[in-house]
Amino acid sequence: MADRSKIGMEFPPYTIKVEKNKIAEFAAALAQKEDIRDIKSLYQHEQAALDAGYPGIPMPPTFAISFVFWTGGGLMGIIRELGVDVAKLLHSEEDYEYLAPICAGDTITRKMKVADMYERGRKERAGRYFMVTVLETQLINQRNEVVLNAKTTFIER
Amino acid sequence: MALLYDTISVGDEMPAYTTQPITRTHLIRYAGASGDFNPIHHDETFAHAVGLDNVIAQGMFIMGIAGEAITAWIDNRQIRKFNVRFLTMTEPVNLDDYENTKARATVTVTGKVVDKFEEQGEKRIRCEIVAQDGTGSRKLSGFFIAALP
Repeated sequence: MADRSKIGMEFPPYTIKVEKNKIAEFAAALAQKEDIRDIKSLYQHEQAALDAGYPGIPMPPTFAISFVFWTGGGLMGIIRELGVDVAKLLHSEEDYEYLAPICAGDTITRKMKVADMYERGRKERAGRYFMVTVLETQLINQRNEVVLNAKTTFIER
Repeated sequence: MALLYDTISVGDEMPAYTTQPITRTHLIRYAGASGDFNPIHHDETFAHAVGLDNVIAQGMFIMGIAGEAITAWIDNRQIRKFNVRFLTMTEPVNLDDYENTKARATVTVTGKVVDKFEEQGEKRIRCEIVAQDGTGSRKLSGFFIAALP
């Protein structure tokens, strides 16, 4: 069960260079493509992205999740840290606010904290009781601009 | 063929986007790309141990597919907000029982413009989206906000 003493806990910040091939790999997974050459041109060729008006190869809108999973043992490490039982874990909500583009070549610092943990429902009603955990993530670029705010909500069923 | 704020109306629909039947290989490729190695998405023995018949798709894979649907219609850089609630689990197709299981593994994303407004000096639309499988089961619902020229 999620450990409520972790409310407010901040994960160690982490800085990562956004790599073009990592974006292509992610775009291929979402587009269900076997071959990187079959993904959208703007996810594989910088010139196509520039022609489309981007400062560089852009990320798919949900690529932000890969910053959450990059460090600290990934998802599994994070949920162990929080005392959450993986066998009961369900992702219930994901929210992104995009403040500026994130492109290949950017250096992104990820800040993440446990924003909240609370119970929903009643313990005596089996299947209607959940422990809810909310993580807030902020991505900051090399110009010290906050480029994305994310809120990840998961429950233990 | 960029969308223009002045020519889009509340009630307009986003073009529907339908996946190929999702296979276990698709889930593993997404696991590698995203870093989500929860075994419930790739290890059938773990799925069985927690009471599921099959591995299930990452919720974020389905949200990512919704993102594919959106960015087939509107440029990535125009998106200001994207929010989903996950509703039901998605099981991949069983390759040894393809015809009977492909509908549950085929996801269609639809959307509809519900609001037009000005905010932070931009002309924006709010569009509600739903992803559902071929049996009619809703996988997620949510919305995005985009700025239009």
